[in-house]
Parts: sequence; structure tokens; C-alpha cells
Amino acid sequence: MIGRGEQALNYAILLLFSVIALYPIVGIVLTALAPPGELVGFGIPSSLHLENFSNAWDEGHFSTYLRSSVIVAVAVVSASTVLSILAGYAFGTMRFRGATAGFYVFLLGLMVPQEALVVPLYFDLRRLELTDTYWALILPQVALSVAFGTFWMRAFFLATPRSLLEAARIDGASSWTTLWRVLVPFGRPAILTMMVLVFMWTWNEFLLALVMVSSENLRTAPLGLAFFQGQHTSDLSLLAAGAVIVATPVVLVYVFLQRHFIRGMLSGAVKG
Amino acid sequence: MASVTYDRATRAFGSTVAVSELSLEIADGEFMVLVGPSGSGKTTALRLLAGLEPLTAGHVRIGERVVDDVAPRERDIAMVFQDYALYPQMSVRQNLAFGLRIRKLSRAEIDRRVERAAEMLGIGPLLERKPRQLSGGQRQRVALGRALVRDPQVFLMDEPLSNLDAQLRAQTRGEIRRLQREVGTTTVYVTHDQVEAMTMGDRIAILRDGLLEQVGAPDDVYAEPANTFVAGFIGSPAMGLTRAGVERNGGASRLVLGDLRLELGDVRELPAEVVVGVRPEHTRPWDGDGGLIGPIDGRVEFTESLGRETLVGVAAPGDSRFVVAIDGLAHLEPGSSLRFGLRRGWLYVFDAADERALGRV
Repeated sequence: MIGRGEQALNYAILLLFSVIALYPIVGIVLTALAPPGELVGFGIPSSLHLENFSNAWDEGHFSTYLRSSVIVAVAVVSASTVLSILAGYAFGTMRFRGATAGFYVFLLGLMVPQEALVVPLYFDLRRLELTDTYWALILPQVALSVAFGTFWMRAFFLATPRSLLEAARIDGASSWTTLWRVLVPFGRPAILTMMVLVFMWTWNEFLLALVMVSSENLRTAPLGLAFFQGQHTSDLSLLAAGAVIVATPVVLVYVFLQRHFIRGMLSGAVKG
Repeated sequence: MASVTYDRATRAFGSTVAVSELSLEIADGEFMVLVGPSGSGKTTALRLLAGLEPLTAGHVRIGERVVDDVAPRERDIAMVFQDYALYPQMSVRQNLAFGLRIRKLSRAEIDRRVERAAEMLGIGPLLERKPRQLSGGQRQRVALGRALVRDPQVFLMDEPLSNLDAQLRAQTRGEIRRLQREVGTTTVYVTHDQVEAMTMGDRIAILRDGLLEQVGAPDDVYAEPANTFVAGFIGSPAMGLTRAGVERNGGASRLVLGDLRLELGDVRELPAEVVVGVRPEHTRPWDGDGGLIGPIDGRVEFTESLGRETLVGVAAPGDSRFVVAIDGLAHLEPGSSLRFGLRRGWLYVFDAADERALGRV
């Protein structure tokens, strides 16, 4: 039990941080709905202009950019999820020579900042004639996501009751069957959480897209948005509408999976 | 169905030896209980049989087959885990059928076996539920059912009752025994609870620090413990153990407890230092009866009233302690004095040096 005063204080703090988090978002949404040229910020616009979105969509070629983003994000999330589950399963449940060293190699992938990698990576991919293709966006991001994903899934498999694994082994399941028919269904919250995180990071990736692709039809949404901003510096409503378009898929994915996301974040911290 | 043989089976974790040269033969259809305090190696011994731990040395055989390097799934065993280890996302029916489906049994055969196990355990109405919708006792039954449907050569049970409340535990004890007799499958059962061991096992094997201390039928182990550890571990309330000296006077021997001398009469030769063990049922308030050794004057330390009898903890001369059983209810204040004797012929005597049993006097 907590006292009334303490409860009020809790709400006050939550409210304060909610306002800080929401202020820019609400500002952008309101700006996106304002008449072109009108600067509203956090104020209510004089009239609502939903056509800002369709104008931005057409002028900014967002259909092309979003398509690129979807292709890249789906490929990265799918590949890195499968690879992370497999690697995490090995590191989390199996004893083999070099396990610890191998795991540190994966951790290294988490520690080295992407900015340090991007230039040598560009030259490598150019030699392989992969620059300015989807591969240049997908392969490096799969690699980076697998570093995190392996770390994440290993922690999940370590926290899984060992008896569950052993029961499956005694029941006659191979490692492969144990993984896909017992552990993966059991670990759905953890896996979905990882997928949401990887999706968000992939979707919002800017630097790699900027360096690796030059063709317009390969640009991802954040990169397209940057180019769009360059062309429409004066029309803030249009820019805001573009920003909202780019951000919406992430919000939708999160809202759709939020129940699992929160469970995944808590699993391990709280014993079910 | 098959016998199980541990042949000098050893499992070491680094320098720690969890199971040391365990040799044990379990007959076909036998219910063998491995019992010991925590850290005694009983669970490791079971896991060696399951193939969940590799042997450091020695062999394990199921029937005539050496299974040292055989994967758990090829050993034809079924195991009931302490936490039940039910697959949480599967219904009870799917949990029971999982092992059978992996072994590619026909659908009809799977259904037949699942229905039969469900009927034997009374879990028919629960078949479509998920484990989280079941009570602890129901989960326990499903875990048993999962072992039963497999119809394996050996059942392995790792403290399957320890998560149940006392009443349910007593009830399930009887039920597991009944099921095992019905199907006649060789069973190795691990527990730290000596009451479970005594009531369930055809034979019990007592382990301590990875070593097999004694193996035998429960009554035999109770009546003839091989050493002080088994004597103190098996039996509830526990046997009181006390160090004592032995004086010899001609043909007769005397037990020395501090200033107290107890005449044993003409008994076999004993070493000068012994440990004397007395079970509560072999003590009695002093009544001058010739069948008692004593008298001993002690100070009451505690009483435990069980209704049918009262157990009285008594401190006696020479820093010795006994538990005296008094029929019915006895109201004795801590600190009050009690004069009692020990039943002749029921004093267990152990060598004080190596703690081995020397027999009864």
C-alpha cells in the first residue's frame, strides 16, 4: 500500500515525463494538420488540412521510400530473427569448445559504433559490387542486429527452465525439434520484443542508407525524408506531414505488439 | 521393462565428486528410492541414468545394454521432474502426446494411450486445458501421465512430490505406488524425504556426499542401520545418538555416560569408545522393569505432543540426549526432571572411530 500523497506524487512525475515525451510529437502532428505556411507548434491550427499528407505523399515519393524501407526491414527482421534464435540457442543451452570466446565476438558487434564501420564497409561492398543495391542495406544491418539478437536470445534461453529442455530431450525430441516446437512457442514474448526492437532500429537507420545507396528508388524512408526536407525547407506543414508518414509504421507495429513487448521486457526480471 | 545397473558410476564436477563409484543393481519392476540430504548426489545419480549428465567414470546399464554414450531420447526412459516441466503452450492432451508424436506412433495409438493414461490418473476432463489453468496437484498428475503414456523401460522421478502440500503429498504417494504396481515398470525415485522413501520403496538406497551408505528394504534399513548416518537419517522422529565410553568388568560391560554407569550385562566385546543410538520407541519412563537399562535421570528440554504419544527431549549425563516416547499426553515442563530407561536389546552400538554399526545390545 502506498499513501495518497505518494500516489499523487507518482502521477505528477508520470505526467511531467509524459508531457516532455509527447510535446514534440503532438507539435509535429498539429503542424502537419495546419494550413501550409502557418506555424502552430503546440497551438491548435486555424483549420485542419488533411491534404498535407496526400501532398507530401505525392511530392515526396514516399510510396517508393516506404516500399524500400519495408523490403529492407522485413528482410533484416526475418533473417536476423532466425539467426539470433539459432545462435542464442547454441550459446544459451549447449556446451561446446569456444562458446565463451565466440559469444564475446558477438558482443564486440554490439560495442563497436556503426560510424566506425561504415566507411570501410562501403569500400568492401563496392568491391563486391553491392553498393547501391538492397543487399548493401540488408546484409550489414542483419549482421548488426544478430549481435544484439544473439545477446538477447541467449539471455532468454539461459532463463528458460532447464527441465523444459530436458523433458523434451527425454521425450525424444532432437535439438532442432526442441527449439522450434517447445522453446520458440514458449519464448514468443521475448522473440516478438526482439523483432520490434530490430524493426525500429532498421526502419530508422539513416547513416547506412545515406552512404550505401544513391538511386532514388532504393532510398529508405528516413533518407527520403531528409531529401524531402532539403527541397521543402519553407513548407513546415508538408515536412511535418512527411515526418508523420515515416514514423507511423513504427508506431503501428509497436501498438500492435505492445502487450508482448512489455511481457518480453519484464520476462527474466519477474519470475512468471 | 528392464533392470538398471550402476557399475562404479562416477560423476565429478571439477574437483567436486557428486557421485563416487556408485554400484547398485535395481531389479526389473522394482521401485528403488534414492534418498539422502541435499548435496548427497541422489539427483546426479538419477541424471546419470537419464543421460542428462555424462559419466566421469564407470558404467550405467539398462537391461543388458550399456547406455554410457546413448542419448537420453534413445534410452527408452521417462522422467517426472520436480517442477513438472510441462510444455506451457501445449494443452494437457498435447503434453501427453508430444513424446508419442515424435516417435511417430499412429494417431489412433496415440489417442488410445492418452485416453488410457488420462483415465488411470483421473485427468480426462482436463485434457483440453493449458498447464497454467491447472492446480499444482493436477499438474503433477499430468507430469505422471506424460511418463505413463510412453510405456518406457524405466520411470525416473526427481522429487515429484516436493511442490505439493502435505495432505496431497501423502495421497499422491499411495497413488504413485499403486500406478507403479499396476504397470510394473522399473522405477527410480529420488527424494530427500525419508518418510517418502520408507513408505514407497521396495528398497531404498541412502546416499551421503556421493557415496552409497546402505541399500536394502525399508524395514531392514530401519532395523539394522549400517552406520550412524543412516541411523540418524532414517526414522522419524530420528534416533538419538550419543557418544559413550565402555568399561569392561570381567564378563560384563558397562556403558559410561559422564558420571553415570549403565550395566549392559554379558554382551559381546565393544571398543572403549562407542556411539550409542536409541530410537524413541525403545525408551520408557523408569518403572523398575528388568527389561530396561537404566535408570537415567534427565532434564526435559522440549515436548512434542502427537496425540497418541508424547515425545520428550531429554538431556542426560555426559552431554547425551535422548528422545523418550510416553504413551498418550504427558505434561512436562521444560527443566523438569524425568527418570527413564532404555529397552534391553535395542541399543544400537556404533564404532566411535568409523561410525560403523557393531550390532545391538
